[in-house]
Amino acid sequence: MFEEPYRWTEAVGNRRAYVDAQFAQGSPVVAVSYRGGILLATVQRGIPKLYEIYDRIALAGMGHPADLETLRATALDMAHVEGFSRSPSDVTVMRLVKYALAPVVKRAYEELFRAPLVAKVLLAQVSQQGSQDVFVTLDYDGVFDQSGGRAVLGATPAVADAMLKRLDRAGSMADAPLDVALPAALRAWAVGDLAQREDREPDPPTDDAVEAHLKTICAERGLEVALLDREAAGVSKYRPLKSAEIADVLVPWLGPDAAAR
Amino acid sequence: MRGDFLNVLKEHGYAWGPVVGDGPPVDPGTIAHGTTVLAMKYRDGVLVAGDRRATAGNLVMHDRTDKVLDLDRHSVLAIAGVPATAFEMARVLDHSFKYYRRSQLQELSLDGKLRALSTLLRNNVPMAVQGIGAVAPIFAGYDLATGSGKIFFYDILGAEFEGVEYAASGSGSPTIRGVMYYLHRWGPQVIAQLDATDATVLVLRLLESAAEFDSATGGIKKGDDLYPVVKLVTSEGIAPVPAEHLQRLYAEHVENRRV
Repeated sequence: MFEEPYRWTEAVGNRRAYVDAQFAQGSPVVAVSYRGGILLATVQRGIPKLYEIYDRIALAGMGHPADLETLRATALDMAHVEGFSRSPSDVTVMRLVKYALAPVVKRAYEELFRAPLVAKVLLAQVSQQGSQDVFVTLDYDGVFDQSGGRAVLGATPAVADAMLKRLDRAGSMADAPLDVALPAALRAWAVGDLAQREDREPDPPTDDAVEAHLKTICAERGLEVALLDREAAGVSKYRPLKSAEIADVLVPWLGPDAAAR
Repeated sequence: MRGDFLNVLKEHGYAWGPVVGDGPPVDPGTIAHGTTVLAMKYRDGVLVAGDRRATAGNLVMHDRTDKVLDLDRHSVLAIAGVPATAFEMARVLDHSFKYYRRSQLQELSLDGKLRALSTLLRNNVPMAVQGIGAVAPIFAGYDLATGSGKIFFYDILGAEFEGVEYAASGSGSPTIRGVMYYLHRWGPQVIAQLDATDATVLVLRLLESAAEFDSATGGIKKGDDLYPVVKLVTSEGIAPVPAEHLQRLYAEHVENRRV
């Protein structure tokens, strides 16, 4: 069936179209370095999407929960075995992605007789200095990309690009406090969520559309926000934020009663 | 079993509790031992302390050993016995608790943590009975479920005992247990109702008393700025008492003895 090269290429192409379609209904993720550490934000649809992996490392995911769980477990196992056998400072997101996650994802994607892993992940690693924070995104085909300052997950590269542009428009968040960085992250999330609902190359949504979308989302669904807190006491820097801690930030979309919700 | 870090380590070739093979017997006097540790309940939780000395026979191996090791946000292990085994035990537990919390998305229960420590001690029995790897730890933690401090102590074979108000382990522990028994039964105040400052003063006095009767327990050396390790375990987490605070309490409440 796949003995001819073009058939194999065609099959991989079909698989890409199939997997791409799976992400359109997913919720994007935004991660950004700010003064106090790294902020990760998304909107939850019942199942958490932000996870602690190791002392300074968090994982955010998009895709099928079971496939995401496979990648999360792989990252957890490698991180803890390496951290125990060597030292916690030797556990880095780049090593996790390069040697544990990417090979698993790529193999699953190219084995045409088996189902691919319908999941893409973002790993963030906080450092003492914000300029040394590391972000790595891993796509469902095993391709990964490292960046500094911020990273996003969106259904397609075009959606991710629109989110990054919106985030960059808000300016550098390196020295911004949480109450500045979080609204910027949520607006970038809304751009992604609106863009990936369009069945075409997305035009950036207007500011009014973004604000209206956030009003609806904040009222109807649960925001999921977590920090890798640079200044947290102890070795574990990951901390999910409680609703009360982000209530003030939501006032523009929920009104002054946001804090009482 | 999901969330079991020892199983994950086993898959990667690590084995806890190696059995010593045939060969000439090892002189236990050449192996380092950590000495005196204690834990006691106080008003806000549990106070855990240890002297700083590690000995091998008559030798002082090290006078700045930290024998009160954080395991996670609300539990510590105070070790008396062979440090090589005890430190490795603490490392395994530290990673086991973190791995469970991160993989299962919930804290391991206090009972689960105690079980993990018992398992390590049980698997360490061959080392313990050969006299080269015995550890008799105290596990102290704050139980968020019940809102109270808990103290457990173990013998070298892994038997677990709950210390209702206090526990002490190591070569200086007989002195401490004697004083604590007296204070607990006839003392002017209920020990579990002392505040952090009074409880800290009490452990400084207890460790000074232990050092008086046990050469393996390191005393307080003011000139060398050498003080015990003292940690407070409360609902807020683990807070080490800073050396400058210990210094002040020692000067004000321990040095000014009556005779």
